[in-house]
Amino acid sequence: MLSPLPAAQWNEATTAHLLNRAAFGGSPQDIEDLRLMGPDRAVSWLIDYERIPDDTPPPEWTQGLPDDLITQRNAISGAVDSDTRNLLQRMRNLDENKKIADLRYWWMRRMALGPRPFQEKMTLFWHGHFATSFEKVRFPYFLWLQNETQRQAATGNFPQLLVSMAEDPAMLDYLDGERSNRNKPNENFGREVLELFTLGEGNYTEQDIQQLAKAFTGWGLAKDQLRYEYHPTNHDPGPKTIFGQTANFTGEEALQVICNQPACAPFIVSKIWRFFVQDEPPAAVVTALAASFKASGMDIKQLMRTIFRSQEFYAPDVIRAQIKSPVQWLLAASHQLEAPLPTEPMTLVMLLQLGQELFQPPNVKGWDGGVAWVTTNSLLDRYNFAAALVEGQRVPLPSLLGQMRGFNASLEDDGLLQIGPAAVQQLFTAPQLATPDSFLTALQARFLNGSLNPIRLASMREFVQSRAPLQEPDIRKSIRLLMSTPEYQLT
Amino acid sequence: MQPPLLTTRRDFLRTTLLGGALSWTVPSFVANTFSALHASADGALTQVTTGKDGPILVLIQLAGGNDGLNAVVPYSNDFYHLARPTIGLKPADVLKLNDTLGFNPALAGFKSLYDAGHMAVINGVGYPNPNRSHFRSTEIWQTASDENRFLTDGWIGRYFDNACAGCDPTVGINIGDRLPQAFSSHNPTGISMQNPASYRFMGAGLNDDEEAAYRSMYGASPDDGHGTGNAGGSVSMLSGTVTLNNGQSALDFLERTSMDAQVSSDKIRDVANKVKNVATYPYGGLANNLKLVARLIAGGLPTRVFYLSQGGYDTHTNQRGSQDARLKELADSVKAFTDDLTALGQFQRVTMMTFSEFGRRVTENGSRGTDHGAAAPMFIIGGGKLQSGIVGAEPSLAPADLEDGDIKFGTDFRSVYATLLQNWLKTPSTAILGRQFDTLPLIG
Repeated sequence: MLSPLPAAQWNEATTAHLLNRAAFGGSPQDIEDLRLMGPDRAVSWLIDYERIPDDTPPPEWTQGLPDDLITQRNAISGAVDSDTRNLLQRMRNLDENKKIADLRYWWMRRMALGPRPFQEKMTLFWHGHFATSFEKVRFPYFLWLQNETQRQAATGNFPQLLVSMAEDPAMLDYLDGERSNRNKPNENFGREVLELFTLGEGNYTEQDIQQLAKAFTGWGLAKDQLRYEYHPTNHDPGPKTIFGQTANFTGEEALQVICNQPACAPFIVSKIWRFFVQDEPPAAVVTALAASFKASGMDIKQLMRTIFRSQEFYAPDVIRAQIKSPVQWLLAASHQLEAPLPTEPMTLVMLLQLGQELFQPPNVKGWDGGVAWVTTNSLLDRYNFAAALVEGQRVPLPSLLGQMRGFNASLEDDGLLQIGPAAVQQLFTAPQLATPDSFLTALQARFLNGSLNPIRLASMREFVQSRAPLQEPDIRKSIRLLMSTPEYQLT
Repeated sequence: MQPPLLTTRRDFLRTTLLGGALSWTVPSFVANTFSALHASADGALTQVTTGKDGPILVLIQLAGGNDGLNAVVPYSNDFYHLARPTIGLKPADVLKLNDTLGFNPALAGFKSLYDAGHMAVINGVGYPNPNRSHFRSTEIWQTASDENRFLTDGWIGRYFDNACAGCDPTVGINIGDRLPQAFSSHNPTGISMQNPASYRFMGAGLNDDEEAAYRSMYGASPDDGHGTGNAGGSVSMLSGTVTLNNGQSALDFLERTSMDAQVSSDKIRDVANKVKNVATYPYGGLANNLKLVARLIAGGLPTRVFYLSQGGYDTHTNQRGSQDARLKELADSVKAFTDDLTALGQFQRVTMMTFSEFGRRVTENGSRGTDHGAAAPMFIIGGGKLQSGIVGAEPSLAPADLEDGDIKFGTDFRSVYATLLQNWLKTPSTAILGRQFDTLPLIG
């Protein structure tokens, strides 16, 4: 149970699998570099990322805040008349929209180019787990702060991460914790903490929720509404009975009680397994992982090391069996094409259309993932976006954006609507391009880390043969076709 | 020592990808993205419960909150005129339905339908504890939930789950970019498209061997515009809910959905090209979308539910200019659509329903507009067995009868849904709506 993969079984396929799941995939060279490290060092290279310096700058507009925000807010509330106020409001809305787009793209580039891909992947997991949404939290600054908190704590200790999320301004806003006080405790946060963040349905009572709500009172925002602040007078200092224990619990103490509940470790471990490994975690694996997770004080890094070293992680029915999220789809394609991310508008339109707007999950549960990414529409979109990425076509903009005609024109002028064709011939050596079969072998290796089914392969072979000798446009079309297969959607 | 793996070719600080001068805004969509699993019974390619002559429901969302009072005007009500000194309609201008209610003249198209016995106007539709947020109230209408519950599946999605096992993917069609939440379901079905040309694998153009190769990968012959073969992978038979526990792998699911995309895409284009519109439609987006719907209906697609959206109803300022224009577009387009359906011999199969996330406040605001309100009328249009007329009592506008200055609802919108589900689509509504709602005398 969960014993390390023997070194003899470490090969290109297992390396690619690790890079795909623990990060966002890579080029054949990336995979080979990682393979040469051997399983232990490869996993370590990914998860012991503190050793890799990272001086990625934050978005420029997050510096100089919060003063800018205070100025903006004062201008609105001090407006001389309602027309001015409305105008300033609209400007602020536009500003917020600009910032959230910038934040989304900043994070995408960080995932694509940053020196610690596993830290970003783990942050993406916590982003979905501790879901908040721009739909309600109209404050990109808070969402950035939350993202950074998740990033710093990504592989630390779960109870500490939980506390920092509970005291996070975006979360307080999203789940109304900020508006909870001892006279009127808000149960929303308490319920979501138990149902979504720690225990799952069926492992707590309504009574627990009510009592927890009392313990969580006092958490709020500072007067400037820009940072967390504890308000002692709002806190209910009396006794609360949570899971059979009675004490004058503070919020932090209550959270630790929750983490100590038997249901917590299995809940977290299962969710992590589902995101990184497979949809249905085997019961024995959950039990074993939960036990060691709990014994370690809920150390996330240790859990991830165990998972990524385990034979179960590399089982044949796990490799290439997970449906790529839109983010994974785009980032993996970028790595495989060795091309930069598309422009901000194109990147964000693609992710929006495919159903994964960062900082805006559909609901408090985050994104369901897996088959939820797959509809006839989303598949056709992936196939057509592939044409844009590889062959350099215009991405079909959703009609809503297309209707903003003046807006379109300026995007066009700035060259932001077009994606140039990818330079693909350079991805293949002359021997690889020599025959249809050698080309197809290299193509599948690079883009699938696996192979097509025989019928598809036969179709591709016919296509490639009809176009031999292969020039750049032929290679592009071949790649586009391969990206338009069910197999390509798997990771 | 091994160099860091992924930093060598990168220049993170290079910002050439971002045009510095341009700021790009992301519009906040009211209709959300959300998970949409795809129905995958093996019989998906044949119609199981949808018949080519079955009843059809067309939903038109009036996005933004349509002001009911200036659409269906209580022209003889003093409270109305007192509350709307600048934006109120004059009694002489309204198209009278009876002694107290009349249509905004922009709705002339609706008046024709009403006079011909093809329209029911339901007064005061809403729900308890109305929510005045676009996002949340739209969600309530789409999911048919109580105000204090949060459902993710849509009411039409639950209809598909309950009544359409093994249905064709085109059983629900949204003319738009992404599936509305109303379609969101456990075994998701339904497609979204702006037009037939965009709902397809796009090759480079005519005589494109790329598209031919794509088709052949799915088992169709390259010349064949109708993919019918197997994808070559195993396509397993499913029953019940779509999860991968039933022995189906993610790959199987992808194979099935990919095939469905191919087949439905071809089918829609065939049908859309086969039929021609007969009536003359006005110029505009809604009319264009309805033209397409008319062709798809007449062409024999097994679609049961169509969904369209018309925006622009959030009339906080200068309402008479904008709402009147929206209403005119709505009525003229719908009238043309019904004329077209009649000429194509299809009108008796079709019932239409308009809905909006809320009405607007009784008293006008300081900008010659209105703010978010509550209850409002709904329009039901139909060519078969529709009981035309006015349904439900006219809501009182006396200040004492308002709720926070808003119209109190008399009919719960889920009664309308229940009526259409039970009496038009002929399916029990309790499982779909969560409980039984009283139906209205609309159909039959």
